[in-house]
Amino acid sequence: MIRLTKRVEFCAAHSYANPAWSAEENQRVFGRCSNVHGHNYILEVTIQGEPSPETGMVMDLKVLKDVIVEAVVERFDHKHLNLDLPYFKEKIPTPENLAVVIWELLEPRLPGRQELRLYRIRLYEDGSFYVDYYGERAANG
Amino acid sequence: MGKDAWAPLVEVTRAYQFSAAHRMHNPRFSPADNARIYGRCNNPNGHGHTYRLEVTIRGRVSRQTGQVEGGPTLDAVVRAQVIQRFDRMNLDPLITSADGPTSTAEALAALIWRILDGALVAGQLCHLRLEETPSNFFELDRDDLNRPSRPAITTPADRGQKVIPA
Repeated sequence: MIRLTKRVEFCAAHSYANPAWSAEENQRVFGRCSNVHGHNYILEVTIQGEPSPETGMVMDLKVLKDVIVEAVVERFDHKHLNLDLPYFKEKIPTPENLAVVIWELLEPRLPGRQELRLYRIRLYEDGSFYVDYYGERAANG
Repeated sequence: MGKDAWAPLVEVTRAYQFSAAHRMHNPRFSPADNARIYGRCNNPNGHGHTYRLEVTIRGRVSRQTGQVEGGPTLDAVVRAQVIQRFDRMNLDPLITSADGPTSTAEALAALIWRILDGALVAGQLCHLRLEETPSNFFELDRDDLNRPSRPAITTPADRGQKVIPA
């Protein structure tokens, strides 16, 4: 068993607000994050699996990159996460929630081979802050 | 906000740098043994590093805030409890015998774990990574500390080994 990781980048804007709260309460809880601002996100997608005896690869990194670009980068790059996308109408676009959305977008698009699975989503909001998500299975295990 | 009852479990990591001096030296060893065991790290006048620290907490994402409990205050806690304490300091007097016999990165990591575990939401700290240099780094998980067989800190003499003079 080995893990391989593909890293990509996308840039997006967001702001934090819980619509159930007053403007003052949102400002108190979220501070400057309640202003519209943006990040250069770095996404690391890690796949765990057994290398194929024929190719020596768990998964072709070019295929993995194409899946990530199609499912994530093209969807989120240079977008406003709150306004341009359906995922954050009910959720605040924190990196915690964005990592879970990315997992849910990627997992069904990966090759459905038994010897391979999505292991981790690591999402950097900047160089000093990142979130890891290991999927529902890990959360309930 | 948020109709789904299921709250995802995520890990949140923040990374820091601090600069500090130290000298590896165990007073229970002879000067010759200290020189032999610690080599250049035993330089009497000390030396220093730009340490890099990653602190990881684990928790469920709140549906109210989209954040992990303790996530928004993690940065302030680490800055107040760790960076303020160690940045531009000599580490040697700050390391206690509970953490290690001298100011190794292993001992410093154990001390930082103890400090943060006491300051953060109980049980939330799940991982520390301390880089002494870009090529030497040290990691601790909560599981490491729960192992009952964590050995007591001993010197080679305590372990009945012959300490070979240099």
